[in-house]
Amino acid sequence: MNFSYTILIPLIPFVVFLLLGLNHRRIKPAVSGYIGVLGLLASALLSYFTAYKYFFTVPKLEGVYQQITHKTVWMNFTDTLQIDMGVLIDPISVMMLVVVSTISLVVHIYSRGYMKGDPGYTKFFAFLALFTFSMLGLVLATNLFQIYIFWELVGVSSFLLIGYYYTKPAAIIAAKKAFIVTRFADLFFLIGIITIGFYTGTFDFETLNNPAGEVITNWASTSFMGLSVLTWALILIFIGGAGKSAMFPLHIWLPDAMEGPTPVSALIHAATMVVAGVYLVARLFPMYYFIEDGFALNIVAYVGGFSSLFAAIIAITQHDIKRVLAFSTMSQIGYMMMALGVSGYDGHEGVGYMASMFHLFTHAMFKALLFLGAGSVIHAVHSNMMGDMGNLKKYMPITNITFLIAAFAIAGVPPFAGFWSKDEILVAAFEHSKVLYGVGLFVAGLTAFYMFRLYFSIFHGKKTNYEHTPHESPASMTFPLLFLAVMSIVAGFIPFSEYVTANKVPFEAHLNYPLAAIAVITGLIGIILAYVFYKNPTEYPAKCRKAFGSFYKWAYAKFYWDEIYFFITRKIIFNCISQPIAWFDKNVVDAFMEGIGSGTIQVSEKTKKIQSGRFQDYAMAFVGGAVVIAIVLIYIFKN
Amino acid sequence: MDILSLFVVVPVITILALFFSKGLKQSRMIAMIGSLVQLAMAINLVFAYVKERAVNDAIMVFTRDLVWFKEFNIHYAIGVDGISVALLTLTAIVVLAGVFISWMMDDLPKEFFVSLIVLATGVYGFFISIDLFTMFVFYEIAVIPMYLLIGIWGTGPKEHSAMKLTLMLMGASAVLLVGILGIYFNSNADGGALTFNILEIAKVNIPFEAQKLFFPLTFIGFAVLGALFPFHTWSPDGHASAPTAVSMLHAGVLMKLGGYGVFRVAMFLLPEGAMDWSWFFIILSATGVIYGALGAVRQNDLKYINAYSSVSHLGMVLFALLMLNKTAWNGAILQSLSHGFMTALFFALIGMIYGRTHTRDVHKLGGLLKVIPFISVVYVIAGMASLGLPGFSGFVAEMNIFVGAFQHTDMFHRVATIVSISAIVVTAVYILRVVGLMLMGPVKNEEFKNLPTVRWYEVTGILLLLIPITALGVAPLWISDMIMESIQPFIQGVIQ
Amino acid sequence: MSFSSLLIMRHEMLLLAMILLLIAGEIFIPKHKKSSLVHLAIFLFGIQTAVGFLSLDTETLFGGSFRTNDMIHLFKNILNVGVLILLLQSADWITDKLIGAEKGTEFFILLFSSLLGMYFMISAGDFLMFYIGLELSTLPVAALVAYDAGKRKSSEAGVKMILSAALASGISLFGISLLYASTGSIYFDVMAIEMTSSNLSILGFVLFFAGLGFKISLAPFHFWTADVYEGAPISIASYLSVISKGAAVFILLILMFTVMRPLIDAWQNMLYAIAILTMTIGNIFALRQKNMKRFLAYSSIAQAGFILLGLIAGTQLGASSIIYFVLIYIFSNLAVFGVVQAISNKTGLEHMDDYNGFYRTNPMLSMVMLLGLFSLAGIPPAAGFFGKFFLYTAAASQGYYLLVFLAVVNVTISLYYYLIVLRAMFIRRSEQPIPSIKNSLYMRLGLALTVIGILAIGIYSPIYDYIHSISSLLN
Repeated sequence: MNFSYTILIPLIPFVVFLLLGLNHRRIKPAVSGYIGVLGLLASALLSYFTAYKYFFTVPKLEGVYQQITHKTVWMNFTDTLQIDMGVLIDPISVMMLVVVSTISLVVHIYSRGYMKGDPGYTKFFAFLALFTFSMLGLVLATNLFQIYIFWELVGVSSFLLIGYYYTKPAAIIAAKKAFIVTRFADLFFLIGIITIGFYTGTFDFETLNNPAGEVITNWASTSFMGLSVLTWALILIFIGGAGKSAMFPLHIWLPDAMEGPTPVSALIHAATMVVAGVYLVARLFPMYYFIEDGFALNIVAYVGGFSSLFAAIIAITQHDIKRVLAFSTMSQIGYMMMALGVSGYDGHEGVGYMASMFHLFTHAMFKALLFLGAGSVIHAVHSNMMGDMGNLKKYMPITNITFLIAAFAIAGVPPFAGFWSKDEILVAAFEHSKVLYGVGLFVAGLTAFYMFRLYFSIFHGKKTNYEHTPHESPASMTFPLLFLAVMSIVAGFIPFSEYVTANKVPFEAHLNYPLAAIAVITGLIGIILAYVFYKNPTEYPAKCRKAFGSFYKWAYAKFYWDEIYFFITRKIIFNCISQPIAWFDKNVVDAFMEGIGSGTIQVSEKTKKIQSGRFQDYAMAFVGGAVVIAIVLIYIFKN
Repeated sequence: MDILSLFVVVPVITILALFFSKGLKQSRMIAMIGSLVQLAMAINLVFAYVKERAVNDAIMVFTRDLVWFKEFNIHYAIGVDGISVALLTLTAIVVLAGVFISWMMDDLPKEFFVSLIVLATGVYGFFISIDLFTMFVFYEIAVIPMYLLIGIWGTGPKEHSAMKLTLMLMGASAVLLVGILGIYFNSNADGGALTFNILEIAKVNIPFEAQKLFFPLTFIGFAVLGALFPFHTWSPDGHASAPTAVSMLHAGVLMKLGGYGVFRVAMFLLPEGAMDWSWFFIILSATGVIYGALGAVRQNDLKYINAYSSVSHLGMVLFALLMLNKTAWNGAILQSLSHGFMTALFFALIGMIYGRTHTRDVHKLGGLLKVIPFISVVYVIAGMASLGLPGFSGFVAEMNIFVGAFQHTDMFHRVATIVSISAIVVTAVYILRVVGLMLMGPVKNEEFKNLPTVRWYEVTGILLLLIPITALGVAPLWISDMIMESIQPFIQGVIQ
Repeated sequence: MSFSSLLIMRHEMLLLAMILLLIAGEIFIPKHKKSSLVHLAIFLFGIQTAVGFLSLDTETLFGGSFRTNDMIHLFKNILNVGVLILLLQSADWITDKLIGAEKGTEFFILLFSSLLGMYFMISAGDFLMFYIGLELSTLPVAALVAYDAGKRKSSEAGVKMILSAALASGISLFGISLLYASTGSIYFDVMAIEMTSSNLSILGFVLFFAGLGFKISLAPFHFWTADVYEGAPISIASYLSVISKGAAVFILLILMFTVMRPLIDAWQNMLYAIAILTMTIGNIFALRQKNMKRFLAYSSIAQAGFILLGLIAGTQLGASSIIYFVLIYIFSNLAVFGVVQAISNKTGLEHMDDYNGFYRTNPMLSMVMLLGLFSLAGIPPAAGFFGKFFLYTAAASQGYYLLVFLAVVNVTISLYYYLIVLRAMFIRRSEQPIPSIKNSLYMRLGLALTVIGILAIGIYSPIYDYIHSISSLLN
């Protein structure tokens, strides 16, 4: 089965990037918009075709979806170890292709409206294309190094897009923060990759992930500090993933990343890039699962669980709508991580894995929708703050409806997409550990609450009088909203367990009614609370704030993690290491070298006297010298 | 005239032609033509080499050997392998770019280009020699013009910087000289004749005591030019005071002589000494890597930032060389190439920015992306390349180094490796700091609102450097294999 | 003793004839035509130099007290070339300053007779001839040093010179007599056999060595150098630093390698110390000099220290590298002195700071200076590099790595002060730089020769090969 054409899926956006990037002065904005959209449309169609071809025409071998790879050597490290470049076609990569190209396409269309009149219009589309290229390349990667390469490219294009408004100091800081924090995580990722390469002799996913293969069967061969080196490697790699996916404690860059244009937030920081971490773990799932009985996998589960709770709590307290969404994203990704962490491998065991991918899929749809909706609101109100909004339903009906659908979806209300995926996750968690299940459930409740807090305070609540009345966004923006709204409803009905499973063998997934019921009820409670609190302005919120007192303050301050990081970087690294080194270099190392020079000159000055100019002294030196030499020689000579 | 000697002859002819030239227009034209010819020769050499290599598996090809001083068995012996070919090409490109960048050199233009070409001659000669004496001669020829180049055309405390740079480098070459003599007088260990010829010496096994004694001398002698910590302090001052083209050639090409010499002479001829001393120099170089990076974080002068980042990047080269395995060495050479193009590009850009804004202080600059977009964008690209972003040469080199270094399983090497790897984060920090302060943000100074746009010769210079960076980064396979196979015989020398 | 055998003394006889001719000229040439004497002298000496290169067969005269062979012949030729260049460079000075003052002829006569002394010193087969040569070569120079009558510094220098010289030769003579006492002969070949490393002979050797050390200005016998150079006319300073030093090195080389060889263990130790001492003192003192002549005095002291590196090796390699180095040193130093003189003749300026911005007005002279200094500093492609490198090689071949290391460290120091001169000329600017200087043909020729020498001697290896083949005559 030949899938080599899939290389085009990332390449088309790359060509678009070059086209727009190299002559962004010459191309007219309108044109560049179309070029971008058309390029993405092509990629999207190709991805859909690939999905169809792969899932419905490629025959399974003994019921297993086969992996199809086309690759070529990119660079040789040693005679055996090399980096390949190529495409790897298997259920998750195909699924990701669909997600990424779809969302990207939607965002491209949306941006044509949202960015209209922006000076850097063309540049913006170029960056979008660059990002899409890197993300698709990441998805199709056949080996760890290829994924790392595109991982970095994704990072930099995210940097460029966050810093898109490069004259805004906040944007600059956010961009730098995002890049450096992820870079820091990537450091561990890289070390992990190199470790795996060294101890297994390959970076290739096929070889690494083969449950019966060398790598997995004798993982115990070399150990370091009581754990298998491979476990260490997997943990390091997960740190890398955690960095991109904004898992605690590497999450701090995500909220600030909202400084970027809203479509960017929707594309990169909600639907695609931030789930790269999840994709990475899923990609290496067999390793995570089998090596050292899933030691590393447990870490994934608990980090995921904690992050989702942590983020959900913060989300409740935020006032900037994009930040609320950002934390919600973090929380949902935590969900996916947790699902992976609690997953088994074979058959129904692997429901967690399936659920995680499923949730990734649905989440991409409704979270993008939420962001784009938020974008359309911001576009109308020219503010990110809930305080400046309210009762928008009568001005922007479409946005209102679509946003509501998305909110239902994320709150896990049947039959919206979120319900199905979230339910599976809870099932998986329940089977694995009750604690995580509890966390999951609680988070589900919180999610419903803060999401409807958001919804009500934007579209209902106090009658705000705007200086210029907000109006519905243009079709180019509302069409994507509607499209995604549809997706957030139908996506849930895709029988995911037919396609994407841990061991690539389809299995029969069926609703677990009691758990589903509990989840739904929790969700509804959340919604109702939000309704009571925020439908119309009330004093409950204030009361609650008092009730929680300092805890609220902490949560509102995002538990002061930014400050902690700030302290470490500014105070410790800059002032206590870098500054001293600069000083040391100037006043010790360099001073020493200079000292040699000036010292010699000093000596020269000091010895002036010797050349007195008086002949008597010269004669003395002359005779004395000769005599001394003679004596010494005779002395030396004697023994 | 054989294909290699031309690399020395053509510059000499250029210099003679320059002596008879008058004024800026003539001299820069002659210099440009001369360097163009060089570049053409270099490219031609690459293809010729590939063709030759297919049929000829000697360590060095295109060898030529003329007796010079027969009493000392000194020969004018030349030859190249993949490594020298790559570095020759680097030199040719950087020199040409340098000529373009100094297109408007109005003060004593003739003398400037003469000194520039003299420097280049030294470098070319150094890369083609396989006779220690010849090599050393060219080494000094390459270093000494720096004094006048910085002294006459430099800025700031130029006299002091020039003197400091020259003395430190000459001091190093003095140490090196003793090392070379030491190797020479042990080259008859197997009863043969004394010789300066590297390939001959490689065949004999020099007694261990001698290796232990002379390895550090040879290593330091070369490594000072490679900005080995703590002998790097000539480079920040030197770079800061040097005129643009000189910084380019110096950081881009001259500093490569260090790594190359260490590889060709110290490692190849004194392998046991290398093994014996590696721990010590690994500590120094690894320190240099992280030290340079951290040092760069706090600098405010663009040139200082780049000088320190050079300390870090070239520390990486030495570090890789000390790892004594194929992958790391391949990385070291690639890093030399990539750093060569990258820093040259950086200094070129800094020169342009300085020429327009008359300041190199990152705090005074700001918002340049708005006023000089082309230069700023290229600066960002160069920055990305230097923090090892995939798709640019730096990444390829660093990955080779790290993977190679990781092949040592003992704790000491592991720690050193991790330390060096962690530098990539710090690199990101100082690169983004500059990008954020200087390129992004609002335009700080009203005068910057209308700066002259970039000129054709500047663009040419930039592209000359930018293209190889990306080419290396996107499709490294071919060049990396070419280098790899040339490393093969050397690594064998080390192994047994 | 047939006339043909007297041809062995060709150099000496021709020079003698020249001196007589000049005296005649002094008498017969009318006052206003005196300047033609200069042309005559230079012309004659040109012939002398040319004739010198005619081959000469190895023989001895006066019962072995005068001898000659290809090596000695080569030494004389080297000195001739040096003196010729020196004359060319000083031609202007002589015509301008001396002829008018009725001192032109004496100058030539004194100079040539001192050269004659050196011929004899080099050709000496026994210590008698050697001593005569030594005295004859020194005393006229003392007179020349004091030539700038009226200049207080000059006459003071003259006095210092004559006193030091007397002291030196006295001590040297004493040393020789001790050697005679220990070996019972003054004939070199006999002594070479008889010489045993007894205390007496060592003492004798050291004292004798001091005498030559004075001429080569090795520490601690160097103190006179700076003061005398500063006081003396430039061409004489140049003569002292190049010709008389060269001659002394040659004879020292001969004696050390033949007569004194039995004492080698002793003098290797001695030279080790003296070499380090001389190089270091020379450099350290040169660092802070601002007067070009003083500066060059110390630089020439440091250079002398390097020569010992070859001597200490005690091998043919050492010998040939010394001869080679002296040859190069003569050219390099003459180049520098030549420029200094050219400047001083026209402007009378000798201070380093006066040179600021010199390149922009006098590029050619500056380039000559650059080459000369690079050659002295031992930077390729100037010949000096090769000279020094081979000296190191010679020392290293005997395992004196530490000595070589100290030597190269000294080279680095010396590079500093050589660069300072270049800094003044090339880098520094000045409000009123020295105006562009128009040089006479003689001066240009003199400088051109040095430049050719500096560039050719190093890269063109046959010269070294020839020297090496000659130097085998030592043992």
